Amino acid sequence: MGKILKQIPFWLAIVILLFVVLMPILWIYLTAFKSGADIYSLEASKLIIFKPTLYNFQYIFTLVPFLRELANTAIIAVASTILVMLVSLPAAYSFARWNTGGGHLLFVTISTRMFPAVVAAIPYFFLYKALHLSDTHIGLILLYLFFNMSFATFLLYGFFREIAVELEQAAMVDGYSRFDVFRKIIIPLIMPGVAITAAFCLIFAWNEFLYALLFTRLAARTLSLGISAMWGAIEIQWGPMCATVGLGILPTLVAAWFMQRYIIRGLTFGAVKG
Amino acid sequence: MRTSFHRGGGEVVLSDSARKSTFWEVITSEKYFRWTLLVPLILVLLLFLIYPFFYCLYYSFTDYHITEPAEFVGLANYWHILRDVTVFWSALGKTALVLVISVVVELILGLSIAMLLNREFKGQNIVRGLCLLPLMIMPLAMSMVWNFILQYDFGAVNQILVALGGEKISWFAPQHAIYVLAFINIWQWFPFSVFVLLAGLKSLPKDAFEAAKVDGASGWTIFRKLTLPMLSPLITIIILLRTMWLIRFFDPLYGTTRGGANTEVLDWMMYRTTFVFFDIGHGSTLAMISLFLTVILCAILFRELMRALGVLK
Repeated sequence: MGKILKQIPFWLAIVILLFVVLMPILWIYLTAFKSGADIYSLEASKLIIFKPTLYNFQYIFTLVPFLRELANTAIIAVASTILVMLVSLPAAYSFARWNTGGGHLLFVTISTRMFPAVVAAIPYFFLYKALHLSDTHIGLILLYLFFNMSFATFLLYGFFREIAVELEQAAMVDGYSRFDVFRKIIIPLIMPGVAITAAFCLIFAWNEFLYALLFTRLAARTLSLGISAMWGAIEIQWGPMCATVGLGILPTLVAAWFMQRYIIRGLTFGAVKG
Repeated sequence: MRTSFHRGGGEVVLSDSARKSTFWEVITSEKYFRWTLLVPLILVLLLFLIYPFFYCLYYSFTDYHITEPAEFVGLANYWHILRDVTVFWSALGKTALVLVISVVVELILGLSIAMLLNREFKGQNIVRGLCLLPLMIMPLAMSMVWNFILQYDFGAVNQILVALGGEKISWFAPQHAIYVLAFINIWQWFPFSVFVLLAGLKSLPKDAFEAAKVDGASGWTIFRKLTLPMLSPLITIIILLRTMWLIRFFDPLYGTTRGGANTEVLDWMMYRTTFVFFDIGHGSTLAMISLFLTVILCAILFRELMRALGVLK
């Protein structure tokens, strides 16, 4: 009995935590099934007791290019993540193994994320116009490469730091060349780290908004832009907005489920010596 | 920066058999491989960092406006902005306010929740998975959802307040809208601190803690003398990354106040100047000033981090 009493504060804290985290998310899905009248109702009871309707989903599948936005977002997120890996993986290894550039180049790389997005956007706004790259998939993919590169490099830098140098030396004694060591020894070892990093890149690209706002209109428009477009000239269309958000965040919510245990093992940036 | 590897193909490096090395052998050699690995990164940096930087630096000295040709105006833009107490300094102040509140609260929350979730309990994976959710949702979508939940007339929070006998609160009123935005941001990002610190707690060496327990150290002493120092590099990383990301504080505003209600932060001011008024000259100047401030701040943090990691003595 005493043992159970001792556990009460712990479980109370967990319940409060989950309530704060889940309520807003639950609200998205509740609202997605509400009719306009129930959304604007001033009766508190209508908050949870209402007649569910599929009108909002019908709306986004017929009146809004939701499916195209979904496909665009997926294509752009996946393609940019692959590009990020091609750039960040070798670079992070070089930084971790040789401290190439004495830390300065790593700092410049990391700092691209604090570089005002608007700054990068000004010249590219005009350059993309001239090159006919605005409102194209490839244009946004390149921008997301730049956007995600900094965090990916930093995260991978931590994973590479955890790999013992002795392992490489042993392989070199066995006659492996530098490139073979990287390809046959290091790459397989870093795969769990690559998985976590790629997951973060996918999610950040999926969720990005500012570049999507500035560089896409219709052909390459992503989900976040579609959601922002629910803020019309007169009012915000809350029902369809919640339906779009509810469907648009499903993939990332599912990803969270698979990521959590790997993150707990891996998100240490190589900074804690166990 | 050394770029000698670009000429690698033309260089003659004598190997044991005294033959000409192939281009491939040179770029994967002990000496040059580290730079070969960096070629893609450097290309991306040149294209997306160096080029926009000099572009903006140049136009920050002009009065370039989309409708008129650019004319050189010297430091006039800088002078104009730095004197502008009501808009620029106020935006800078609000950026700093959001930054400090968010980082401090996220760290405190992150540390407490990480300690809470660090123990073994039934359903731990479910609880942890659910805690990760806010980080996964589009910030823009979430800001619009919060806008909906906090609506004055029919928002859920106000309706519940009324049902409980309270009064409606105007959440996005100018006096406190900035704090509501900070809350929205903290709700979204606290899982990042939680999971970084939880990963740190999981990888701490167990024997040091057992030894301390045997010596009769109290829980608080162990936390202060062992846990906290061992986590300090991770805390520096969280402060560094969150500072960088928070200076780009844009999405939470777009779905709610859109820079109104006394919430115009630096990033919004830049966006408005450049892409609403198309005043490229002033926009570039703002960007330069903002970049200058953040680079100084983050360089200090980065130095601390490199020391903590043992890369820098």
